[in-house]
Amino acid sequence: MDAGPVVELRAVNKVYGNGVPTPVLFDIDLAVAKGEFVSIVGASGSGKTTLLNLMGLLDSPTSGRILLNGEDTARLDEDARARLRLQYLGFIFQFHYLLPQFSVLENVLIPRRIMGRQAEREQRERAVELLERVGLGNRLHYRPGQISGGQQQRVAVVRAFINEPALVLADEPTGNLDSANSKAVFALMREISRTLGTAFILVSHDEALASQADRIVPLVDGRIVH
Amino acid sequence: MFDRFAWSVALRNLRYNLGKTLLMMGVVAVSVTLIIFLGALIGGLQRRLIASVTGAIPHVVVRQPERVPLSVADAAAAPDGPLYAGERIRLERQKRKIEDWPFWLARLQRFDPDVAAVSPVVEGQGFMSRGARRQGVAVVGVIPERHNAVVDIQSKLVTGRFFGLNAGEVALGYKLADEFSLRLGDKIRLVSIEGNAGTYTVAGIFDSGFAAVDGGTIYLTLRDGQTLFGVGTAVTSIGLKLGDIFGADAMARRLALQVPYETRSWMEDNQSLLSGLRAQSQSSNLIVGFTILGAGFGIASMLIMSVMSQLREIGILKAMGANRRQITAVFAVEGMLLSLLGGAAGAVQGSALCLWLAGFRTTASATGRLVETFPVDLGPALILGSIAIAVGIGFLASLYPAWRAARINPIDVIRGA
Ligand SMILES: Nc1ncnc2c1ncn2[C@@H]1O[C@H](COP(=O)(O)OP(=O)(O)OP(=O)(O)O)[C@@H](O)[C@H]1O
Ligand SMILES: [Mg+2]
Repeated sequence: MDAGPVVELRAVNKVYGNGVPTPVLFDIDLAVAKGEFVSIVGASGSGKTTLLNLMGLLDSPTSGRILLNGEDTARLDEDARARLRLQYLGFIFQFHYLLPQFSVLENVLIPRRIMGRQAEREQRERAVELLERVGLGNRLHYRPGQISGGQQQRVAVVRAFINEPALVLADEPTGNLDSANSKAVFALMREISRTLGTAFILVSHDEALASQADRIVPLVDGRIVH
Repeated sequence: MFDRFAWSVALRNLRYNLGKTLLMMGVVAVSVTLIIFLGALIGGLQRRLIASVTGAIPHVVVRQPERVPLSVADAAAAPDGPLYAGERIRLERQKRKIEDWPFWLARLQRFDPDVAAVSPVVEGQGFMSRGARRQGVAVVGVIPERHNAVVDIQSKLVTGRFFGLNAGEVALGYKLADEFSLRLGDKIRLVSIEGNAGTYTVAGIFDSGFAAVDGGTIYLTLRDGQTLFGVGTAVTSIGLKLGDIFGADAMARRLALQVPYETRSWMEDNQSLLSGLRAQSQSSNLIVGFTILGAGFGIASMLIMSVMSQLREIGILKAMGANRRQITAVFAVEGMLLSLLGGAAGAVQGSALCLWLAGFRTTASATGRLVETFPVDLGPALILGSIAIAVGIGFLASLYPAWRAARINPIDVIRGA
């Protein structure tokens, strides 16, 4: 991996809507370095989720360029984007979205399973290790429905890191948890991304958490203010 | 074909929704049972019907064409005007015959690998009498060992011989024997319509299962037949047995181009039976078709429900990097597994049902021979074919749900749409 930014946005604009155009993001320039922990803050509706979806290759910009590990993603088709997400990105959402028919351990290994059988075997021990680290060593074979909300979100965190992605994107990962659980999950994300050297972009309304980032990116009405 | 990821998710989905899975497997199983049951029963019934028609006759007959003289009434209608209106002409009754049959016998045998047997026959109407009793009968002169390959009599013997019939000996049906109170060794007298007569010894009595044959056909040797009907060394027809009885029409048509005689297949003489059988097959296909359609829609709706209840999970799988092919495969595998397992269960059930039915027996005739009450034709082709149909339906039924799942946009899920 080269020393350049993990993800880089150049003059990115996003306009929603076909009939009535709704401009949401304006001339966004942003680069996140390897291993950097960044939080994006801003009022509701300022475009944080939109920005995160663009960086996560889930959405395409109306104009501007998005580079992932130095590779321009503009011309890639859906499956190529899926491959890049699988390879380089991890996601944590407000809801855990664990698969109810798989156990905790299997859920964590799903991204590896998408890659293939061999990939899953390689990471199995690490998955157990990480789950032990987040205090779920004795819940490996439980179903998601059999563990608490905080535990579910911790499983989702481990799942986001299992592919050793270059970048993890988290959209209000603690939005659904009480403050004690929020702190625990945040500490976990911080710790794992530090030990793995993963760049991390956090969107959170919790200012106490957001302020602990290496860098805070304030978003106001679709513009990054400096 | 599909990767492990798709397989594992599909298997989990089926196991996780075990109730629905079993229900859908049941629906598929019932349709496969129906396909096998109807297929085997209708196949068996048709086989029996066809056998009842073709069992006692050659599949193709080679003989001299019949030349019918014009009647006066028909001739008057001719454009050349009235031809003859005088005295009736007495046409000499001339037996239609094939003189050069030994030459053609060998050629017919070699004509096509599907020709299973060839037999020369001298056939005609005659009267059988014993004491004061007299009855019209069909008299058939054959080489027994040869003819048996075309029409089986030997294995149907109640008593006596068919093979090794000597000059002056006859084999006849048990009904005829009953009516005349005949036993082996009794003498009967035969008079042909040509006026020749002879006395014969009863050497065999058979129960062919065909009423017309058992009640009115007498077999004697070819030589005796030739004498009785006054055809010298000629025969009146050559009978052919084929491997594929439904190939008879085509075979007769091909033979007609090579043989200077009329060739006639059993199918030409049984058009209405055949069209009846076709109608029967079609209506059973219709029933099976609608059942399959029902099962297909059942699978499709179950899979659609499965997709709809997992929109978020599928969206997140896609966000994590599962591609469209993998998501499609999940549901295609689900559909095919459902129908394969259901189909296999249905095949077992249908086969068991058929075997049970096949066990019933009824007495067929006065001689006490037992035949199956329900004729069932249960073969591996039918069983495997119906499972294959089920799997195909499962696959087709999964296409729309799979396509729908692959189209899910992770953003919509994340935004909570
Ligand atoms: N599909 C869409 N079509 C039109 N407008 C949209 C669409 N999605 C989002 N928007 C608009 O884009 C703007 C930014 O939305 P976004 O979800 O990025 O905000 P946010 O900063 O994440 O807000 P919150 O903190 O409430 O999650 C909003 O005004 C929203 O109405
Ligand atoms: Mg948001």
